Amino acid sequence: MTYLKSRRFIGAAFTAITMLSITRTITGNGDLTSTVTIAQALVFASPIALAGLAGIWAERAGVINIGLEGMMILGTFGAGWAGWQWGVWAGVLAGVIFGAIGGLLLAVAAVTFGVDQIIAGTAINLLALGLTKFLAILLFTNAPGGGQAQSPPIKGEIPTFTVESIVEPLTSLHEKGIFFISDLAGILAGLFYNLSLLTIITFLLFVMTSYLLWKTAFGLRLRSAGENPWAADSLGVKVVQFKYAAVVFSGMLAGLGGAYLSIASTIYRNGNTAGRGYIGLATMIFGDWRPGGTAAGALMFGYIDTLRLIDTGNQNVKGLILLGAIILFAIGGIMLRRARRNSAVGFLILGSVMIGAYFSATSFPPEVAQVAPYITTLLVLATASQNLRPPAADGVPYRKGDHH
Amino acid sequence: MLKGVKLASVLAVASLALAACGSSGDSAESAAPAETAATSSVKVGMAYDQDGKGDGSFNDAAFAGLSKAQTDLGVEIKEVNSGSSATDATREELLTLLADGGYNPVIAVGFAYSTALAAVAPKFPETTFAIVDSVVESPNVGSLVFAAEQGSYLTGVIAATASKSGTIGFIGGMEIDLIKAFEAGYIEGAKSVNPDIKIESKYMGAAGDNTAWNVPEKAKTATDGMIANGADVIYAAAGGSGLGMFQSVKAAADGGATVWAIGVDSDQYTVPALAEYKDIILTSMLKRVDVAVYDVIAAVVDGAPLVGVNNFDLSKDGVGYATSNSAVSEFSGAADAAAEKIKSGEVTVGTTVQ
Repeated sequence: MTYLKSRRFIGAAFTAITMLSITRTITGNGDLTSTVTIAQALVFASPIALAGLAGIWAERAGVINIGLEGMMILGTFGAGWAGWQWGVWAGVLAGVIFGAIGGLLLAVAAVTFGVDQIIAGTAINLLALGLTKFLAILLFTNAPGGGQAQSPPIKGEIPTFTVESIVEPLTSLHEKGIFFISDLAGILAGLFYNLSLLTIITFLLFVMTSYLLWKTAFGLRLRSAGENPWAADSLGVKVVQFKYAAVVFSGMLAGLGGAYLSIASTIYRNGNTAGRGYIGLATMIFGDWRPGGTAAGALMFGYIDTLRLIDTGNQNVKGLILLGAIILFAIGGIMLRRARRNSAVGFLILGSVMIGAYFSATSFPPEVAQVAPYITTLLVLATASQNLRPPAADGVPYRKGDHH
Repeated sequence: MLKGVKLASVLAVASLALAACGSSGDSAESAAPAETAATSSVKVGMAYDQDGKGDGSFNDAAFAGLSKAQTDLGVEIKEVNSGSSATDATREELLTLLADGGYNPVIAVGFAYSTALAAVAPKFPETTFAIVDSVVESPNVGSLVFAAEQGSYLTGVIAATASKSGTIGFIGGMEIDLIKAFEAGYIEGAKSVNPDIKIESKYMGAAGDNTAWNVPEKAKTATDGMIANGADVIYAAAGGSGLGMFQSVKAAADGGATVWAIGVDSDQYTVPALAEYKDIILTSMLKRVDVAVYDVIAAVVDGAPLVGVNNFDLSKDGVGYATSNSAVSEFSGAADAAAEKIKSGEVTVGTTVQ
């Protein structure tokens, strides 16, 4: 990581914690940065993050992967079935393999046959949905503890780690309620509380992706297949092979995301993915087709989901409204400084509306929180689309020898 | 090249066929009828919503009534599922298919069939239809509704009596009137015991969000939050998501806390799929869908179809609470007294949260 990059990362983290801290101080709601909230947010964020990472791999190689949801469904099924038969690690492996099969199917359709990638991906989503339901009826109906729509429980558990020597002092520091310091303590403690080995693997996959795709010759070649495959071909890059590798690996990651989900639920259940593959795609766009931003987007979804679910008396949703307002004001301020007056006014007005809502209403329907990540993604797309840069040849069918 | 295109088109067709048999109208032929003395010419068509049997709850209760009719009355049965991506159009097709196939009665399991049944029923005036959990106005439709609020009132009484902390919880599936009635009865029952009791409620999804029934990991987190806030009895009416509540309560109990879970629809204490969580399931709110389904079939066999609105309430044993876990006996005095008051009309239970 270069000096500039690490400075930007620390700056972003610092800003995020400050905003959370301001919100926590005004609302007096310790849940916003508590150890348990952060630990659970990681669990909810990981499957989405894996789907987003899967999207990065495929699209960096120039193949749009709408089939993420389907590959994830295959992963949930593989994990449920193999996990029930042979234990949890077999489940992880089967989830990855099932996802890879979905990826291979997309690669055959999109890369070899040049089928429209959106249609091929959608077909995989439909196929995975139908196939897994069919197989669930076939395999689980008469199994003890299973049913037509769900597998018997997965055997065994993924090890989780709690580093008591870090968590305990930091949690008690969190409870003191000091501005910034307590919030930082709560967040740090959350990273070491009930941390699943799969979450660690997810993190490592992000680090590995950043390194492989942006720091190695392999990554440069893979990305060149997504930027300008004809030029890459003229330089001797085996474009088709790279695309295959990227899309199959994308399927493996999505499958792992599905396996994560089944293992968190201890069973496979029809419809358990609940659209997380599509949310993963959204986080990928939110993150500008890069691992860091994608992880941030997934954490946002995971964090908001957690706050909504562990909410008591709708206090968390109220806190989120205030947090949203603060963020909007901050962006408005930045826009003003960059002399983008129209955008700035828009953000400041939106921020004021949310502040008004915060102080006038006593409670908010929890649905507000549910849609918040989608609205954020839309806002990012609407305002930052100038700066977002998808791979140049993303979604363009490639045939060796053709030239554009 | 041409070979490739052929292969691709074969694959595409195959995938469509697979997708079709899975997502909309996955019909599962039932096992051969059990050996019975009784035989009957009545053919019963049963349409489940979503993925049908195996939820250890609502749909399994409907199936229990159906299989009882199969054994006792010797009727022939046919079961179909709508699948989770079903639309009103696919549900109409399923019902039409059953009615066309000579199945009578045709029983639609679940409120989701309301619109479809209202469209199909008038086209088959000779067929008796029934719908569970909804009211469809048609001369040949029997609407089987349950006073879930009354049963939930009893579980509320049990929860409040069993709670030591003075805080109890409720996990709902989709936030619709049907499920809100469970919440309303539960709250009212709990407050009748302890007016100051704190009740935390959480729904897994908004109206129309079909994922609400299939997200146990979210129900688990929500229950974790309630337990962290002091709740020690939690009641879930959330379909497949309810498993998450059992997991959370079990984890808390393993950690040494005294916490109880209350199940719904079927007697979840006796459901094999939930055997692992047995010891923390204090009771279940019973919605006797099995009784209702059996009654509908028996009425057709007797030649006097059950049409119009049939409200299965406490007085008809249409709702109640399970006593299979002996731990509940400590609290059943209070619950039975409340049940008597409801039956006598001394207490009327509302269906909306006050």
